[in-house]
Amino acid sequence: MATSRRGINLLGLARWLFLAFLLAFTALPMVWMFSTSIKTEFAAIQQPPVWIPAEPTFDQYTTLLSPANPTGRQFLGYLKNSVWVSTATTILGVLIAVPAAYAFSRFSFPGREPLFFSVLVRNMFPVVVFLIPLFILMKFFGLVDTHLSLILTYLTFGLPLSIWLLKGFYDNIPPELERAARIDGATRFQAFWKIILPLSTPGLVATAIYAFIQGWNEYVYARTFINSQNLMTMPVGLEKFFTEYASNWPGLMAASFIMSVPVVVLFLVLQRHFVRALTEGAVKH
Amino acid sequence: MAIAEAPALAGRREPVAIPARETLGHRITRHWADYLYVLPALLVMLIVIGYPLIYTVWLSFHATPPRTGEWVFNGTQNYQDILSGPRFWRVTMNTIYWTVGSTLFAFILGLGAALALHNPFRGRGVVRALLLIPWVVSAVAAAYVWRWILHSDYGLVTGMLKSWGVIDRPLILLDSKSYVMPTLIAVNVWKEFPFVMVMLTAGLQTVPEGLLRAARIDGASTWNQFWHVTVPHLRGVILITTLLLFVINLNSFTLVWLMTGGGPANASQLWITEIYNIAFRSLQFGMASAFSVILFIIMLALGYFYVKALTANAPRREG
Repeated sequence: MATSRRGINLLGLARWLFLAFLLAFTALPMVWMFSTSIKTEFAAIQQPPVWIPAEPTFDQYTTLLSPANPTGRQFLGYLKNSVWVSTATTILGVLIAVPAAYAFSRFSFPGREPLFFSVLVRNMFPVVVFLIPLFILMKFFGLVDTHLSLILTYLTFGLPLSIWLLKGFYDNIPPELERAARIDGATRFQAFWKIILPLSTPGLVATAIYAFIQGWNEYVYARTFINSQNLMTMPVGLEKFFTEYASNWPGLMAASFIMSVPVVVLFLVLQRHFVRALTEGAVKH
Repeated sequence: MAIAEAPALAGRREPVAIPARETLGHRITRHWADYLYVLPALLVMLIVIGYPLIYTVWLSFHATPPRTGEWVFNGTQNYQDILSGPRFWRVTMNTIYWTVGSTLFAFILGLGAALALHNPFRGRGVVRALLLIPWVVSAVAAAYVWRWILHSDYGLVTGMLKSWGVIDRPLILLDSKSYVMPTLIAVNVWKEFPFVMVMLTAGLQTVPEGLLRAARIDGASTWNQFWHVTVPHLRGVILITTLLLFVINLNSFTLVWLMTGGGPANASQLWITEIYNIAFRSLQFGMASAFSVILFIIMLALGYFYVKALTANAPRREG
């Protein structure tokens, strides 16, 4: 008994140490990002490094976020483009994924299984394989240097996981519910709209967050498809900022921080749904 | 799941009373409306995936000199050039090192995190949420913050180690041929272990508590409970997670591209970055396509196992 107690305690201690290490590993880079962003350029390169600057300044943030100066105007432009592209991708993605997932879950048309797996297999393909032909395709349709090229491409990143997650949700909703509604005189669409959709809200929220974050963070296609400065999204804008002001680390960190805040906050608020959706949808399945 | 599904299947099949010899054409026409639901998804996937794939394969058999813009069929020349190229094996070794190393360590860390957070305690939700941050942060922001942390002159790591007296000269990591890969892998693990954690957290919740309790009552040690009850239950999730991770790593571009650009002296050049260079720096689309096709074939093999893992996983849960 005594040994097993000590065994448990040792295990418990190891667990706390491990968690402390993980927390430091994940959080410190972000803390350092913020800490640097509120230093002056001179303070940022002082050694030994200081976590809490003696004279914090928010100059970098005011520069980046005020439309009064060229840097700020540029940066706000990137921000606006990212919001637009990510939002459009998210809305379109949900609109397309919901009926597809529903059909894969409920109907038994010929070719259902192969089609479902062909959708999933998208996850397996290297991004670069599509980059070259898509670039040529977009050029052919005159879509290079438009937001539409990005929205179309991002759609396909999100769709497989969205469909997979949502299908798992629909599988878990007993069809008897719809059948009961149909008997009571509801159309197939009404049954879906009034019964199924509300029950699958966590799945919808999860797939929407996923699509939004993907669009917000995507870099390779944004870099390749967009040439005009006024159409660039945040990740590419950040790279541009880095190459232009290479030694301004506080500025770069402030820009990175502003870029990270929306998705981190969005995700932290809604991550419960996300984990639940994975549990209900993907994994249980 | 099983309860919901069984009567549904029975209910769907019996009243229709499908004649034994219904042709495929009939079945398709009878279900024509069902296809409307999946049509938008299929269209998008077809345009953005089907077409590019075929086009890449076609392009890989052509010489595409950027100057003339005239594309000429040249058989397997591109493939031969790649396989006999001076850098090919070097880049291949880097890619294997990167993919296996990242997958392995991200998995170990993610599994550890999922297990450490499995039993409830005060503040567990907060800890879990905080651990997810690197996964959500853009790879571009991550690349720059790590470049800054690892900066050889003004970086946090050099500064801390110096002030503790561990080193007395700048610590060169990203510019060192021997340290660059382990450093990049560490950053990549930072970025993606939360993904493993989420997947396995979800998986752990499906392990029946009763089974673990029974094992405990029978005197099984913590390790035995883990190894003989938890792990077999998680087999499907573990398989899918590692496969996905493997593919994600094989495909990952942004971190390496922005942190080292494949340098120093190609010490961190991966297939993906190499392909990008061939295509968009040297503008040799044919050559880059051939390289993509090689990568694609490897993915296809992995994809086969992925689908098998998914299908093998599904029916077992039904019962």
